[in-house]
Amino acid sequence: MKTISYMQAINEALLEEMERDGSSVYFGEDVATMSGAFGATAGLLDRFGPDRVFDTPIAEATIAGAALGMALAGLTPITEFSFADFVGIAFDEIYNKLGKWNWMHGCCFKIPVTIRLPVGVMAGAGPEHSQSPQALFMHSQGLKVVVPSNAYDAKGLLKTAIRDPNPVLYFEHKVLYGMPGEVPEEEYTIPFGQAEVKREGSDVTIIATSLQVHTALAAAGMLAGEGIEAEVIDPRTLIPLDKETILASVRKTGRVVITHEEQKTGGTGAELAAILAEEAFFDLAAPIKRVGSADTPIPQSIFLEQEFKPNEEKLMSAVREVMQY
Amino acid sequence: MAEVVKRDIDPARYDKDFLLRLYREMVKQRAFDENLIRLLHEGKVSGFYHSGIGQEATGAGTCASLRDDDYILYDHRGCNQMIAKGVPLDKIYGDFMGRLCGTTCGLGAGIVHVAYPEKGVLGQSGTLGACFVIAAGAGYAVKVKKTDQVCVCYFGDGTAARETFHGGMNWAGLYNLPIVFYCENNEYGISTHYTKAHALKNNIADRADGYGIPGYVIDGNDVLLVYEVAKEAIERARSGGGPSFIEGKTFRYRGHFEGDPALYRDQAVVEEWMEKRDAIKNYRARLIAAGAAAEEDFAAVDAEVEKEILDAIAAAEASPMPECTRIYEGLFVEGVV
Ligand SMILES: Cc1ncc(C[n+]2csc(CCOP(=O)(O)OP(=O)(O)O)c2C)c(N)n1
Ligand SMILES: [Mg+2]
Repeated sequence: MKTISYMQAINEALLEEMERDGSSVYFGEDVATMSGAFGATAGLLDRFGPDRVFDTPIAEATIAGAALGMALAGLTPITEFSFADFVGIAFDEIYNKLGKWNWMHGCCFKIPVTIRLPVGVMAGAGPEHSQSPQALFMHSQGLKVVVPSNAYDAKGLLKTAIRDPNPVLYFEHKVLYGMPGEVPEEEYTIPFGQAEVKREGSDVTIIATSLQVHTALAAAGMLAGEGIEAEVIDPRTLIPLDKETILASVRKTGRVVITHEEQKTGGTGAELAAILAEEAFFDLAAPIKRVGSADTPIPQSIFLEQEFKPNEEKLMSAVREVMQY
Repeated sequence: MAEVVKRDIDPARYDKDFLLRLYREMVKQRAFDENLIRLLHEGKVSGFYHSGIGQEATGAGTCASLRDDDYILYDHRGCNQMIAKGVPLDKIYGDFMGRLCGTTCGLGAGIVHVAYPEKGVLGQSGTLGACFVIAAGAGYAVKVKKTDQVCVCYFGDGTAARETFHGGMNWAGLYNLPIVFYCENNEYGISTHYTKAHALKNNIADRADGYGIPGYVIDGNDVLLVYEVAKEAIERARSGGGPSFIEGKTFRYRGHFEGDPALYRDQAVVEEWMEKRDAIKNYRARLIAAGAAAEEDFAAVDAEVEKEILDAIAAAEASPMPECTRIYEGLFVEGVV
């Protein structure tokens, strides 16, 4: 094992997979010469040259649409938007095209497109550079949705994403970039659709994604002091979703709190809650609780943005509430 | 500014087989279309059909210089192009009838998404205008693969107003991509005349100049002119000379979709196009006048095409409909790349 940051994990995955697949290309705004807004693409240009690694104009619809065109013509395109918020600009290309093209044309292609999408509240980036829009794409069809919460998952899931013959949206949290984690020295990948039980517990299940996995683990540690044993589950991929692991945990504990940094209304937790209501209703001892961000735009103020999103306190009080039943 | 290309092409410069091949392509497209409309009226085809009657010179003239491994992206009015590129007719009819033999294996009908990789047919963007940026990607792929393939992107005058027009043209010019943008200017979007949808100096093709892309405005109903100008553009792209933009002036004879009475157009103008500027009629007259082909030659082609069409329809009709479970197939591809 070695200890590297989430960002280095992403970088290693890119270097290894582009080495492995000679048809892969990496492109986006300021990714080649400058190595990306956050430095994740360091070394790619030197290693793979200017045809395979290149800077594009500021035009996200073109980036996403071109990724589809490249895939149709036999490449393995890997790209990124500087901020996930920019999906709005390329919504047609992502929502109507990438996921649906192969199905609607009779499934005669492979669309091995990976788009890296930095999400999350960080350092006062404000309402248009802090969002977590993954739920929009849980509702679309034909896209896979990945939400790594640590360096190990970041690397293993990105490698799987690049090898996947389907389009994958890879939502990475900006606050996690600097977070160190252990990864194996040797090559590994992580299959999609395998949730991880991050902490075992018998009283309540906390389903958490992305940065909230860490909030949940911290809250669970404190709740243990109050005699509440929380099980923390990180789905890791939302499409495909590991329903079995989630349902098994909820059947065991009978209580569930879902937390994510997305605004609560219509967030990915809404779908998870609906699945649990449909498939585990009679196993529940308490109502399902969701702890998401406020249903407002994201404030620029570094003070208010912390209030906007869920934290340990909010999560713990939700857990205490479900423990009342 | 785009070059307005006018040429008085002597058909006698071309050999007879080639000239009749262009004729056959156009007649095949029109017969395909007329029969499809018949099938619609017979209740065998459902959904919205955007007839390409009147615009046959586009596909015939451009695809004559394309190889099987060249790419095309066609649009909602694009059966002419996919036929010219070589998608088997029974598969296209199969798609319109929702049969398993179609390229979509039964998903078809309505605004059909035919793709046929063995002939380089990459598909259709139902939301107009994604073709520009998808073509940019296909063109970029050719650059990375270092092959000499070409991608032709077909679209209408209305679609040329999409935001993605800029994105695709910018990439094509910037990266010197082997793409031919072909704008079928049939004057109307649905009901909106192109002069009411574009801020233009003169022609839509003038825009190409700003991207450093050569632009041409041609009579898009003169199949030999379409052929020559497209051939030059395709050869330039193939040999590393980069993208081109061609605006072919044409007209659709029917409503925007079958059932649209097209009351927004002056009927006299429609008749003028049908009588004086019909691509097939004029081509026949020209070849006869030049002594390049005779009435019997055309009659023979017409008869062969009719049989080909009827056989294709029969084959499609003989193919079964999919099971209801068809919709659950193929959303995700298995395996790894
Ligand atoms: C993005 C988008 N906007 C609107 C439509 C609806 N629509 C379909 S065809 C059409 C007209 C297109 O005009 P043009 O590009 O000139 O092609 P034509 O129909 O004349 O062949 C419109 C508005 C659509 N399919 N996609
Ligand atoms: Mg038009």
